[in-house]
Amino acid sequence: MGEMVRIPGATYLLGTPEWLLDWLDDEDQPLPRQWFADETPQVEVTVAPFLLDRYPVTVSEFAVFVAATGYRTDAEQCGFGMVYGEQTWEERAGACWHTPGGPGTNTDGYADHPVVHMSWNDATAYAAWAGRRLATEAEWELAARGPEFRIWPWGDEWKVEAANTAEYYAGSLSSLGAWKQWWLSMHAQYGAMPRTTPVGAFSELGDSPYGVADLGGNVYEWTATVSELYDPATVCDPSVRMALGRYRVMRGGSWMNFRYQTRTTERIHGDPTGWSSFAVGFRCAKDE
Amino acid sequence: MVKIILPAGWTMGRTEFEGSEGLLPDVIRQFAQDNPIYGPRLLGPNSELLTYINVCIDDDLIMRNERASATVPAGSTVVITAPMAGG
Repeated sequence: MGEMVRIPGATYLLGTPEWLLDWLDDEDQPLPRQWFADETPQVEVTVAPFLLDRYPVTVSEFAVFVAATGYRTDAEQCGFGMVYGEQTWEERAGACWHTPGGPGTNTDGYADHPVVHMSWNDATAYAAWAGRRLATEAEWELAARGPEFRIWPWGDEWKVEAANTAEYYAGSLSSLGAWKQWWLSMHAQYGAMPRTTPVGAFSELGDSPYGVADLGGNVYEWTATVSELYDPATVCDPSVRMALGRYRVMRGGSWMNFRYQTRTTERIHGDPTGWSSFAVGFRCAKDE
Repeated sequence: MVKIILPAGWTMGRTEFEGSEGLLPDVIRQFAQDNPIYGPRLLGPNSELLTYINVCIDDDLIMRNERASATVPAGSTVVITAPMAGG
């Protein structure tokens, strides 16, 4: 099991300051405020000291778990995993953690990459076996930015060489159309294989203040936190409102995303009832 | 008529649409036919609703094993939530 880092406890303001929403609104790519409303307002939280995996759980680590327990992931049980095909998301028959692009693919050369096609159930099962747990959202964000706000784990200045994002491969991206062009070229070359990188590949440059790696990009990470608004009065996308109380918060963005989705305070909400994708993994936490 | 609400991340703008009442699968298929750009996000190659798309009718989440028989009454609101929701 992976090395853990001690995160000192702190009281801090969870979430995104208003000035950052102004910045997002001013960027070239359309980034409506409503998209990120669930990151506001900032709220004071107190986090006790805890331990966090330095890296996301890897393919080889998950393989040890499977060998020891015979565990079958949700994707294996339902017979498909979500991948982004040529045009959109697909329920690809046979895609799972050891065949991440679907039939005919494998994890050769991916042993030290984050394991993907991880549902919330899969992540919590592994964590329980390892004597660990998933981090809460407040713990995750503290580990990513420290008690003082910063946009990305390494600071407020975007550095394309600091994280595994779509921009690392494609250069600066400012539109969905540009992303689709990039993905089409990737797909033509590699099929629906995830573009993950070995854990820690962007250390130390991309590490958080506590030396935790891959908290921005590489894979989305499940947390233990049930999705809720920081303030119930916040106006957000009705589709997101339906996820509240039902989904679980995911953090960090992935190799698929632009810089905006890999911020320390970016929130995405994932269906915990068995869904996973080739951009979703996790890391574990532990009480001190 | 019914109101159909899609995730803002899909539409990059307008999120409210109109649809017809009826059995939920038929409502979604008709909507996809009328708005083909959203078809691949909603339906698989067999024209069945994708497994992990979640559907609420008037704030009630429709369980997957109940979708085939769920009805969408006139005047109701259907909210589509992707398995990964947010911006």
